[in-house]
Amino acid sequence: MTNDKKDPSMTVVLQSSRFGRIEIPSDAVLDFPAGLIGLGGTRYALLARSEESAFVWLHSLDDPELAVPLTNPWRFFPTYEVELADEEADRIGITDAEATSVYVTVRAAESLQDFCANLRAPILIAHGAGHQVINQAPDAPVRAPLFPTAAEQAA
Amino acid sequence: MLIITRRPGEKLMVGDDVVIEVIEVNGSSVRIGIAAPKSIPVYREEIYSAVKEENTAAASADAAQLPDDLPSSTNT
Repeated sequence: MTNDKKDPSMTVVLQSSRFGRIEIPSDAVLDFPAGLIGLGGTRYALLARSEESAFVWLHSLDDPELAVPLTNPWRFFPTYEVELADEEADRIGITDAEATSVYVTVRAAESLQDFCANLRAPILIAHGAGHQVINQAPDAPVRAPLFPTAAEQAA
Repeated sequence: MLIITRRPGEKLMVGDDVVIEVIEVNGSSVRIGIAAPKSIPVYREEIYSAVKEENTAAASADAAQLPDDLPSSTNT
């Protein structure tokens, strides 16, 4: 069973309430041992419309209705920094920053000016496992507007 | 809720493997040490609640709400 999980020829079928039936290669299944904070499930997969998509969906494989939009924080916040407490880095066992992908959750809204990203609790993905961590960097708001220009224009 | 009086240096056990120690009491603030297994993340409650709220709000998004790509008003 543990070996099957990494066999790329195997697939997991996701019946998504948003996207319908999707087959996920087993080696694309991400293990979130602690889930997302306040949300359930330990198995997720990243769904992207294309390589260029600004947003990807972190979809639960345990709950067909649970999916969270994510984005690459540096696409919107070029000076963004993630700083982990030693015990948290130790807890999740991520030591190799190069091999780690960083995402932040996106709060969507009716208008783009209200879109926000949570810079305080980024999601780190490395070696098939994901962790939502608390960023210790001083300037990391829970709700950072994604499109401040649009907000200014509307103001 | 269980309410217990402890002095600095005294500890509490939560289950078999979480140890909470009162390190220091200084006026209205208390320094607390927590030793928990690696699998158990420890959060400040207000941060946990804020992140939980944000995760829940993010998860309520509809697929159609997200633009396929960035609007032209941003400089990417």
